[in-house]
Amino acid sequence: MAASTRAANAAASNPQGPASVGPSVDNTTLQYSMILEHLIGDKRPVKDLNPAVMGGLPVPPKSDEQKMIERGMESCAFKSLLACVGGFVLGGAFGVFTAGIDTNVGIDPKDPLRTPTAREVLKDMGQRGMSYAKNFAIVGAMFSCTECIIESHRGKSDWKNAVYSGCVTGGAIGFRAGLKAGVLGCGGFAAFSAAIEYYLR
Amino acid sequence: SLPALMKDLMTNACHRKCVPPHYKEAELTKGESVCLDRCVAKYLDLHERLGRKLTELSVQDEEMMRKAAVGSG
Repeated sequence: MAASTRAANAAASNPQGPASVGPSVDNTTLQYSMILEHLIGDKRPVKDLNPAVMGGLPVPPKSDEQKMIERGMESCAFKSLLACVGGFVLGGAFGVFTAGIDTNVGIDPKDPLRTPTAREVLKDMGQRGMSYAKNFAIVGAMFSCTECIIESHRGKSDWKNAVYSGCVTGGAIGFRAGLKAGVLGCGGFAAFSAAIEYYLR
Repeated sequence: SLPALMKDLMTNACHRKCVPPHYKEAELTKGESVCLDRCVAKYLDLHERLGRKLTELSVQDEEMMRKAAVGSG
């Protein structure tokens, strides 16, 4: 680096080249360092970063509120909230549906052929729906949150984010039942995530 | 103009590094936008530091040339 600037200076100052004005014209000599300071150093002129000036396509400037709203909608917290609510709704529907298929309510040991009353059936559907809904909501929120955090950390968006966050979520769910269940949960959820990503991409 | 040129170079460099050529959707994903933020910050920081270092080196070079000229003349 030093050799090339020395060569540039030599080329400029010795044969009175274009970068330096010799004393025959006037008494100032332009120096490389001065030019550098004015171009890319501290003395460069302050220009406002207008996209029209800088050669971008003319686009109306976004207001501050719009920028804030967009930043909020892209944030990890909002995404996990969305996944939580979506999981809740989906889990509720799924729970109500499976309650209709898999009836185990109202079995009276004294009279096994008695059909359950409508109130009992509804109560069972509500309970199952609520329990499935809460589980799905928690799993969805955890998966979405970890995926967003991992993606922000890596700075790339590919299928590996879903696999890693699937492993974390499955591991966290299974860890409550012991280490082996945690490892199994990690592997299973990661494989499920990979399959979904493969299908989606 | 220099700001437009720098913006062009920065756009090309960061696009090459951060946006892989898989155009499945029109919006920038979270990972890509995070990567672009970091790329721009590093580019500007590097630009400033290199400018300062270049200026320093050329000042040193000119001092040496001046001493050589004074010594020989």
